[in-house]
Amino acid sequence: MKGSPHLEIENLQAYFYASADRTFVRAVTGVDLCVMRGETLALIGESGSGKSVTALSALGLLKGDPGIVAGRICLHTDEGPRELLAGLDRCVTIERTPERPLSISKNGPAWDRQQKRNFVGVRGKEIAAIFQNPRTAFNPYLMVGEQIVENIRLHTPTKLYQEAYDQALYWLERVGLEPAAERFDNFPYGLSGGMCQRAMLAMTLAAEPALLIADEPTTGLDATLRTAILELLAELQRNLGFTLLMISHDLHVVRRLAQRVAVFYNGVIVERGPSLAMLSANDIPKHPYTQALLDAQPVRVSPKPRRLIALQGDVPSPIGEAAGCRFAPRCTHAKGINAKRCEHESPPFFQVSSDHQLACWLYTDSKEVSVRGVDA
Amino acid sequence: MKKPLLALVDVSKSHPRNAGMLSNWAARTTGRAALDRVSLTISPGEIVGLVGESGSGKTTTGRIIAKLTAPDAGTLWFDDQDVTHMPESEFRPLRQHIQMIFQDLDGALNPNMRVRSILAEMVALDPLGNKKESAETRIHSLARSVQFPLDKLDVTPRQLSGGEKRRVSIARALACKPKLVIADELTTALDLPIQAQIANLLLDLRDQLAVAFLFISHDLPLVEFVSDRIAVMYAGRVVESGPAFSIAHSPRHPYTRLLWNAHAGSVAKEELAATLVADIAQQGCAFAPRCPIFKAKGSPSRCTSTQSEPELKLVEVRHQVACHFPL
Amino acid sequence: MRTRYVERNLDGAQSAGQSFSQTRRWWDTAGIAFGVLVFFVLTLAFTASQFGWLPYDPDQADLDLILAPLGSPGHILGTDFFGRDLATRLIVGVNAYFLPALGAVAVSLTIGATLGLAAGFRGGPVGLATHYTCTLVEAIPRLLLVLFAVTVYQPDIYHIMLIIGLTGFPGLATRLRLRIRHLREQSFFESALASGVSLQTILFKHLLWHHCRPLFLIHASQAMGEAILFETSLSYLGFGVQEPTPSWGNMVQTGSDYLLQGNFWPSTLPAAAIAITLIAFYLFADAFERRAQDRQNP
Repeated sequence: MKGSPHLEIENLQAYFYASADRTFVRAVTGVDLCVMRGETLALIGESGSGKSVTALSALGLLKGDPGIVAGRICLHTDEGPRELLAGLDRCVTIERTPERPLSISKNGPAWDRQQKRNFVGVRGKEIAAIFQNPRTAFNPYLMVGEQIVENIRLHTPTKLYQEAYDQALYWLERVGLEPAAERFDNFPYGLSGGMCQRAMLAMTLAAEPALLIADEPTTGLDATLRTAILELLAELQRNLGFTLLMISHDLHVVRRLAQRVAVFYNGVIVERGPSLAMLSANDIPKHPYTQALLDAQPVRVSPKPRRLIALQGDVPSPIGEAAGCRFAPRCTHAKGINAKRCEHESPPFFQVSSDHQLACWLYTDSKEVSVRGVDA
Repeated sequence: MKKPLLALVDVSKSHPRNAGMLSNWAARTTGRAALDRVSLTISPGEIVGLVGESGSGKTTTGRIIAKLTAPDAGTLWFDDQDVTHMPESEFRPLRQHIQMIFQDLDGALNPNMRVRSILAEMVALDPLGNKKESAETRIHSLARSVQFPLDKLDVTPRQLSGGEKRRVSIARALACKPKLVIADELTTALDLPIQAQIANLLLDLRDQLAVAFLFISHDLPLVEFVSDRIAVMYAGRVVESGPAFSIAHSPRHPYTRLLWNAHAGSVAKEELAATLVADIAQQGCAFAPRCPIFKAKGSPSRCTSTQSEPELKLVEVRHQVACHFPL
Repeated sequence: MRTRYVERNLDGAQSAGQSFSQTRRWWDTAGIAFGVLVFFVLTLAFTASQFGWLPYDPDQADLDLILAPLGSPGHILGTDFFGRDLATRLIVGVNAYFLPALGAVAVSLTIGATLGLAAGFRGGPVGLATHYTCTLVEAIPRLLLVLFAVTVYQPDIYHIMLIIGLTGFPGLATRLRLRIRHLREQSFFESALASGVSLQTILFKHLLWHHCRPLFLIHASQAMGEAILFETSLSYLGFGVQEPTPSWGNMVQTGSDYLLQGNFWPSTLPAAAIAITLIAFYLFADAFERRAQDRQNP
């Protein structure tokens, strides 16, 4: 089964309505993703680019009005494919014409009910998640071990308390929290940040999920802890074989853990491909934004200080329809004769290699491929 | 050697007594002081990087330098004056020259004040200011120097993005022409390209204005990139300090080496395992339980006895290490 | 139950449909505008009566035109049973409470601000003492206290308003204390201190001016309404301004004798004036508070 699609996201669109200004915040506008079984796919990009929204959509935890308005998410489980956004088109109507402003009509309560039905048995067992602040994952009033036991009994065939207890101890040891029996009795406030992160891993993985979504798992941790958690995650993935969808903005982390990476910018994916090739300085074609991310890595080569090639401007506002390439305002290549095309026409995907595509007018003149390539 | 602008001499501070349930786990479990005889010097126009894990005392050091908290022992010298016990009324004019940029993006700026007023207030603190140029001009040149869009001068911080708020904090710290700026986690929580912009900005500002910076961060490559000198802290002590390039490429303390290797992703398995169950020793060298040299040498008693805690010793030009067995 | 989200045309043209929050925001603006309008009218009335710019003499009795109904020629609001023009008497009636009420507001504002600021900033025993004082003072029944004072010694209206002011501070003091205590924890407070700004400037400019202005305005508005209600109640009961000096309260009282005969306006018009004024002040306070909250949490 390894190598076959595990999670497919097609044309996901998520908008949030700001009632104060009466505009839509276009969090995600047409994202296509395919995560293969057993691999690690990383989503990178600036804050507000849509990575977290995409992950939350896959979990069915996206809150907001109107939230997800279009798209298809297909989870391939052992029992067959599950459409996680089934019934969305019955709850949402989008009116998008050039003359009149965008109007979206959504039946919120109906969609909530539908989502509950869609996600039965999925969350926790098929798809699990760990988030950035580990303490928020735990109930502060219950012992850490108890919460792991609860997760085990909920999602695995193990129902007896004694067996679940043993399992919990096993997982605590697995993530390096020793002595396990003592840590079982700890409350979340009694654990340091790093330990909490590991406990959260134990709790999530004890349910043996097929797909793990990790939203910024190492942000905010110190360097040594970060490496420790990374190595732990890598080892666990090797041994347990789950698929990992990771969100990070730390390129070191991504290079270490992920085989493939997708670069988000302002609600769309601008490049996707193998992480090693994309995130190293070499001659392989890169999207200008990816190149800018690489340029922003500070590396000191001599005692004398120099300057970094810094991308100018700020994170773009996700309000308003963008006509052309969203990166154009900050792109150093979108000048002169290129400016007109970059600003008014959205670039199609250019296939760099069988696994690697990017959307930029710089490369499309020579080889052009489909408008939206979903790799499968 | 230039006379130091600021010097901390043997400053010690214990942890606050009534820390909340969730705060400072390290404090409650180790029994060590927050700062233990810390000494640090900053020369005029120098960028000194301060690195260490959370709980190592970096932020406390910054706060003591900014005179937001008082040390329990030791002295603080600024511009040749002993300011450790100077009363607030006497010290306030000196505050113009020691500015601090806080870690907390949202809290450090008054959310209801317009950016222009925030900057104007700080410009007014400089007694020599009005003679050369009007406040307006100064505010505009400040905004330009931190690349803050001029059309946003009349909005409140609520409507600014993270990077813009950071820029306002930097401009605010520089408005009254200080000699030293303490930057606490200036680039955390910012996106990569904006981090690069701020790094360039720091270097430019130092070159143009001859301001000294204390750059507190746990982003090692960035600290290495920006700083002239780096001081490494562990468990409330400075374990190594020296030129940035040497610290990064030829560290002499095992902890420094561990830190940089961890970032490069090349840490040995055993060291990593030791990190997972990290414990700070109550006596002797705090790093001993995680120290590979300690293990390799069969746990020498020198590293654990209270009598011989490692002190900072010069090993190279301007490069000090506090270790019994420096690399 | 479908919810429709329509994007505003970004060139500025309005699109159809309004959400609930928009209607509420319109209502808030209306409330604020109404309050300001009423206050403006009252100030006009006060000024007019001070300078004597009145259509008629309020005491001048025209015995030929007793109880002239609404809309009579020359007397838009009619006359009372002495033939005195009601419109003029309404205008002059403002005099009875305008300055004294402002006085009450000033007193409670000052005491409340001082206590709230000191308690909020200092905390500890000062805060505790303020808290207990406020609880105690709040428990005092003000109307009874005033009536008591009135029976024991005959104070003038300013004296009464002083009592009202002295007992009206707890609300502001408590709210201000909480606010200041919350603001003190914010890092911009520490940041300002660390930058060398004087404590005075921080307290008054950063905290009071930029964060607490709404508190003062809301309190002032409510306190004004309360004070006016007190004055008119007292006059109605016969303890305040005495005939022939007009006060809305005593106008309601004296006019009530004629209600059953069908001449409602000498009593009802002043009552309506009282009602509208009070509604305006409270509505203003309410709307302003909601709008200030909107600004805080966009």
